[in-house]
Amino acid sequence: MSGIRKTFGPVVALDGVDFTVANREIHGLLGGNGAGKTTLMNVLYGLYAPDAGTVEVDGSPVTITSPKDAITAGIGMVHQNFLQVDVFTVTENIVLGTDSTKLVAPDGSTQTPAQRIAELSSRFGLTVDPGARVADLPVGVRQRVEILKALYRGAKVLVLDEPTTNLTPQEVDDLFSSMRAIVDDGMSVVLITHKIRETMEVCDRMTVMRDGRWIATVDKADTTADDLAATMIGEIAGGDAEAAALAQTAQVSLGEEELGEASLDTSSEAEPEGAAADTVTPTPARVTVRGLTVAGKGGKPLVDDVTLSLRPGEILGIAGVAGNGQGELAEALTGTRSATGSLSVDGAELVGRPTAAWLGSGVVYVPEDRQRDGILPGAGITENLVLGSHRTRAKAGMINWRAARTEAVAAIKEFSVKTPSAATPCGQLSGGNIQRVILARAFAHNPKLLLLHNPTRGLDLRSTQFVYDRVRRAASQGCVVIVISEDLDEVLALSDRVTVAYSGRLVGEFARGEANPYDLGRLMTGVGA
Amino acid sequence: MSEFLTLTITAMVPFLFVAQGTMLSGRAGIFNVAQEGLMLLGAAVGYVVSLKAGGNVVGLVAAALAGALVGFILSWATTSLRLDQFVVGLALFFLAGGTASLLYRVVIGNDEPPRIAPLPDLVFGQDALVFVAVALSLFLWWWLYRTDAGMRLRSVGENPKAADSLGINVTRTRLWAGTVGAALMAVGGAYLPMVFSGVYADGIVAGRGWLAIALAFFGGWRPQFILAGSAFFAAMEVLAQRAQVSGIGVPHQFVSMLPYVATLVVMVFAFRWALVPQFLGKNYDRESRIVG
Repeated sequence: MSGIRKTFGPVVALDGVDFTVANREIHGLLGGNGAGKTTLMNVLYGLYAPDAGTVEVDGSPVTITSPKDAITAGIGMVHQNFLQVDVFTVTENIVLGTDSTKLVAPDGSTQTPAQRIAELSSRFGLTVDPGARVADLPVGVRQRVEILKALYRGAKVLVLDEPTTNLTPQEVDDLFSSMRAIVDDGMSVVLITHKIRETMEVCDRMTVMRDGRWIATVDKADTTADDLAATMIGEIAGGDAEAAALAQTAQVSLGEEELGEASLDTSSEAEPEGAAADTVTPTPARVTVRGLTVAGKGGKPLVDDVTLSLRPGEILGIAGVAGNGQGELAEALTGTRSATGSLSVDGAELVGRPTAAWLGSGVVYVPEDRQRDGILPGAGITENLVLGSHRTRAKAGMINWRAARTEAVAAIKEFSVKTPSAATPCGQLSGGNIQRVILARAFAHNPKLLLLHNPTRGLDLRSTQFVYDRVRRAASQGCVVIVISEDLDEVLALSDRVTVAYSGRLVGEFARGEANPYDLGRLMTGVGA
Repeated sequence: MSEFLTLTITAMVPFLFVAQGTMLSGRAGIFNVAQEGLMLLGAAVGYVVSLKAGGNVVGLVAAALAGALVGFILSWATTSLRLDQFVVGLALFFLAGGTASLLYRVVIGNDEPPRIAPLPDLVFGQDALVFVAVALSLFLWWWLYRTDAGMRLRSVGENPKAADSLGINVTRTRLWAGTVGAALMAVGGAYLPMVFSGVYADGIVAGRGWLAIALAFFGGWRPQFILAGSAFFAAMEVLAQRAQVSGIGVPHQFVSMLPYVATLVVMVFAFRWALVPQFLGKNYDRESRIVG
């Protein structure tokens, strides 16, 4: 691919990007969120029409205007959000759209679709149950179905978009060995990721992208994790201090374990209260949760008997594969979903009380789906910041908008929200800026319990760092923080204590430094530690 | 009793055509809400063409073509132009219904309308369309669940992005499914003057088009259950007419209400098990950046 350019309205998503994948290699496409990795591959797969640029396969130029052209050219892609028909079976999803009458086996004989699927899954270690409905399958298996879909169509180049999201460390190992088997069979694999550790572990070469531009392509043998981190972050305008902080966040959020540990030490130094609590007398709990349960359909609770005790300034991390009751747990812990049991903040019982009472007691929720649950997309930043404090703010039912605007302008400055004005509708902001608005609103409530669910998903590096800084600062001021995240590296980096959500329950508990990713991985799949 | 059965089978036919047409469009993601208008259009075109060109078969074909045109407009406006399906559907309901009325007035005027010949009986005192409607239902079931093309159509209604990523042309699939579906609806409308009344009247459809939407949900968007459901709806309709004629001690308005009440009750429960296509009524835009 050369000179690829793609714009979405005024936004330049790709700017003259060159990208080459060699035969029989695993090529890492590395960059932070918003770097344009997925957009580039969507152009290759015919989902986005580029404004400029050319694509060549095996030396000859090809025109790709739809996924059909891409499939014909031997390109297969596994999207981060699986493109599967939920109600179809594994086999139906794999054969959908293909002509099942002309299948030729490697030995030249004809094959039935079932034989082809069986052959591919045994050859590459991709075990699936062909008759199962995909909606009933766990993420790891659905991913194998996606890979089989591409292989079934005779892909020569397989693109995997952030394939390790939501996989346990064990499943990641299996995936990587399947990738190696695919490459050994004569195909090529492109691994889109923002985690340096993954590229160092499995890739032969990697290309780094930043802000829609090609930055560098290097062989694994010629580079180190530190070099890659520096390349990904690029030049920092804000001087050495900001560069150092950003590098630290990069190492955490990019999954660089050893460096992640280093940043943990720094952050605990920044929390003298927390450190003191370990050596002197234990501080009394600020937040106490007992037997919190959310009933589900068919007798199986969505949140099952959750009990927690959290000291001021403590950060609790809850890891787990998506769909294990995290969303319901987050809502139950913040009073936005009715639950039974008990939750008290500074001794005040909140379960069963209206949401306003929870907010008034300092319980603040930063939801997973920012656009849907976090903001009014059509309303301006000022209006969104007023939400939640509208009751206390109003005098005789009237809101002083002039004062609210002044506060909003100050908040925009403090939280570095990039926006044309305080009246700009929130829906027009980027994900990172929406999250900054939500955090500004959250901190305006003087939180005592701050709950964040996947707080950095889809955010660029700077916004991720911003979220981490703010979370640590809140904790150092005595706020109890609960971070629910499907990103294991994030949970390990931020938390004083780590537990795992599995099937609505919280299982296992590790203090900082004691948690091993593989132990957590076993808990995430329901296998006892 | 056998008369009741005969009447029910006859009453079933328009429901079957319209609900199967709704199902076919819906399975590709086109949620047509212009059934009532399409049935009126089919009835008017079917009546006028049968009368002037001399033959029910020509009338049925003409009705199907008129319906297909409206269905094509709906599909085109919602795929290529990405207009809101519900808004376009409602507009087409008025357009088709108004065109039907206008066509009748222009051709017949205020004269006493001549009656067209009823469809001849084939066997068992039933006309050919009865068998066509039942055969169509069975064919659609076989086609949707047993053929590759049927699976493609279903995938477009369930997850168009997945279908697109596998090289299936979402727009083309929706265009023809919406077109054929609407043609079936118009045929269901054309059946009314050919069997029941012999003439066209503006009130001839009497809400059957709206009921057919409910019937599609009731049948879980599956042809075999729609076949069963249409028998139930037809029986209700015949029962209501019976009550009106014989006076069984219950006000006939009450019995006339029954299909609607039954629909409401069924909908409340049917929504628990009905498998509605995931992208029913939702347009597909390949480059939309919901997924960053």
